[in-house]
Amino acid sequence: MYVYDTFDHAFTRDRIREFSDQVARRLSGELTEDQFKPLRLMNGLYLQLHAYMLRIAVPYGVLSSRQMRKLAHIARTYDRDFGHFTTRQNLQFNWIRLADAPKILEELAEVEMHSLQTSGNCIRNTTTDQFAGAARDEHADPRPWAELIRQWSSNHPEFSFLPRKFKIAITGADRDRAAIRVHDIGLHIKPQGFDVYVGGGMGRTPSLGHCIRTGLPGEHLLSYLEAALRVYNRYGRRDNSFKARIKILVAALGPEEYKRQVEEEWARMDRARVDAPQAEIDRLKTFFPDPTFNTAAFDEAAFERARTADAAFARWIRNNTHPHKRDDHVSVTISLKPTGLPPGDASSAQMDLMADVADDYAYGELRVTHEQNIVLPHVAKNDLYALYTRLDAVNLSTANAGKITDMITCPGLDYCSLANARSIPLSQEISQRFEDANLTDRIGDLQIKISGCINACGHHHVGHIGILGVDKQGIEFYQILLGGRADEKAALGQITGKGLPAEAVPAAIERVVQLYLKLRTHDNERFIDTLERVGRDAFAEALHEPA
Amino acid sequence: MNLPKPNSSYEPALVTRAGEVIPNAWQLLVDEDTTGAEGPYVLGFERALRDLDGLNGHYGVRVNPGDDVRLLEPFLDRITLIEVAFPGYRDGRGYSTARILREDLGYIGAIRAVGDVLRDQLFIMMRCGFDEFLVKDKDPAGAIAAASQRFSTTYQGAADSARPVWALRHGIGA
Amino acid sequence: MKLLTANRLHDGLTVWYSGAGWVEDGAQAAALADDVAETLLAEWKLRETEVVAPYLIPLTDRGAPVQREHVREFVRANGPTIGQTADALSKAFNRADIFEN
Ligand code: HEM
Ligand code: SF4
Repeated sequence: MYVYDTFDHAFTRDRIREFSDQVARRLSGELTEDQFKPLRLMNGLYLQLHAYMLRIAVPYGVLSSRQMRKLAHIARTYDRDFGHFTTRQNLQFNWIRLADAPKILEELAEVEMHSLQTSGNCIRNTTTDQFAGAARDEHADPRPWAELIRQWSSNHPEFSFLPRKFKIAITGADRDRAAIRVHDIGLHIKPQGFDVYVGGGMGRTPSLGHCIRTGLPGEHLLSYLEAALRVYNRYGRRDNSFKARIKILVAALGPEEYKRQVEEEWARMDRARVDAPQAEIDRLKTFFPDPTFNTAAFDEAAFERARTADAAFARWIRNNTHPHKRDDHVSVTISLKPTGLPPGDASSAQMDLMADVADDYAYGELRVTHEQNIVLPHVAKNDLYALYTRLDAVNLSTANAGKITDMITCPGLDYCSLANARSIPLSQEISQRFEDANLTDRIGDLQIKISGCINACGHHHVGHIGILGVDKQGIEFYQILLGGRADEKAALGQITGKGLPAEAVPAAIERVVQLYLKLRTHDNERFIDTLERVGRDAFAEALHEPA
Repeated sequence: MNLPKPNSSYEPALVTRAGEVIPNAWQLLVDEDTTGAEGPYVLGFERALRDLDGLNGHYGVRVNPGDDVRLLEPFLDRITLIEVAFPGYRDGRGYSTARILREDLGYIGAIRAVGDVLRDQLFIMMRCGFDEFLVKDKDPAGAIAAASQRFSTTYQGAADSARPVWALRHGIGA
Repeated sequence: MKLLTANRLHDGLTVWYSGAGWVEDGAQAAALADDVAETLLAEWKLRETEVVAPYLIPLTDRGAPVQREHVREFVRANGPTIGQTADALSKAFNRADIFEN
């Protein structure tokens, strides 16, 4: 993974000093809350329902075991012993004292981490494929490019006060696991260069990004982004924060006109000032080599014995491993969605254990996924049973990756000051209803995504089943959407009928699932495929009318 | 009651990038004013576009966030000061304005930040090509000094002379 | 009647106005007559080195937040309803959940 040099260290130190000074000036009253708010947000510090929340950047989701241990330490020392992994591949702490924030940033800097630009109207953490560098269907590793973007966007002098936040996602595989078409800019690395999608997003006005360029040479990626951001910075709306995202500008101008303006800006630009030279791109690429793979021959007989003897292990192998580019390795998903606990939460003990198993079986590397799970990208098949056993001891062996109980769930009204309704308790009710492992497996891949309000932090627009919390005179209601997906066939779900009270939602979902099981042509026809074949209407009816 | 006194409650002072507090000799003309004997004048943006063609001498122009600064290109030889207005400090359009002036149009006169200009913006303003600041702070010179020393490292090229980290890493432009 | 609530600047914790000052336990919040509440709110808005984002919660006749605010205020006063810290506040203050209905 990327290793800081003296410049990166100096920058992080300077930035922490700047923020410490801002915190001190806020505490003394030199800065008003109104003036301080954008400054603290740019350092990831929100004020939530109960306290300050600190969002820590996990650049493009890549974590070392040492960094994970530091996160555990922060959870123990400065918060209430747990953290929350988010759909933005970041980590949030929920009870952080303002006065402690500078100290925490210093601790993070020791392990080359920070909380910069995890909030605020600036360029946010670039997200990517959790299986980057490991997946079999990948043709280019997105991580060096994501690091290039991280550095270029850090403290960008022109783009620190954009109309609204700006999120970039990048993938280099056939299957899109980074949801690039629901980001402000989505980048797809192809053999002939980058495809650039602009204007995707969720929130109040969900939209899918438009491709405005194909075959962009990598050496001009930064100048092209700079041109795209400049047009947005100058002409994005600032009169209404709900209309300030780039998707609104692209829709207002039309993708063609927006593209024309970007290309014009790009043509005028002195690109040599902006584009990092090939030597720097090559340097970044050297940080993401394969680990020195353990090449001991795969002992298939021993593996099969374990699988036959332990049905739970067999099930975990089936659901939580992903094909690796090497036949003797797999990528492993550690599910943070056990029944009974908030999706994405991990205790400090669990974080420490994940760091330990990463060292022992995964070359010290972990990933945070946008599904709010943890991935060990490279695990030798020989180690799977030992790994499983250790995860199982701390309730980290839930075998539900990609299944109906592997829900994306935003913090909702249990934490979030913008929420209309709670998300986590509802996800728990649904988990409990589908707790039966055989039923979950029979249902197969099905993504439920829950947001506690229209801001869509829980990606409800792109859930096969999306759930949106609304507020009816102080009572929590939930609207259900059907047919969304965030992959390479990205589509937005559509709202079906009236909202339901919380207690009616699990049963409604069960009716939909039963209908799917009845209608599917064979076991491998996934929910989303059946839904697209049959149409939404039958399913919408099942949702709203008790069978 | 012991109420805090925010820095932004101090009268704005004009300070240069070098930290020198200077008097403001320029006068902003409201639209109906005629140019009298006392100069120098800052013209509103619309008026500058309308009148600069027929005027001789050197003028200032006020650019507000929605104005397309590229329209000033034909008149740049008559402009010695451009005031870029920040009506609220969260409005970041002025940063693009300044970079376009410096890097695209090659403007070499003064660029002054006016409006809601606070200590914490000075560093990025300097990077975008501003060289005068009408800043609200109890210690304007100190604010400039702090901003100038804030970062030893800049990751990206902009309108100032700071070399991006990649140039330092690879010995480019030394 | 209204309650006055805010977050404390230095640690961000939710606090309540007890009549004498700010307390962490919502059960000790003082029900204030509307005009008294408005005056206090205006005063505390200016004292932002102590608390941030103060606001008033309107109460029903039974002394609970009005329906419109109910779930939100229930969660603020009692903590997250789920997960590792569920019930932490009621235990810390040795009381039952407040604003139950
Ligand atoms: C708890 C405090 C949070 C607050 C106050 C917050 C606020 C917001 C707001 C206002 C938006 C809408 C932005 C817009 O449409 O312009 C948004 C969108 C979003 N947030 Fe959050 N959020 C929070 C937590 C989270 C968490 C925990 C995640 C990850 C699980 C997250 C990920 C996202 C994503 C993916 C979107 C939608 C994509 C987009 O349109 O940018 N947020 N958030
Ligand atoms: S979707 Fe709404 S409720 Fe959920 S975290 Fe985002 S802003 Fe909060």
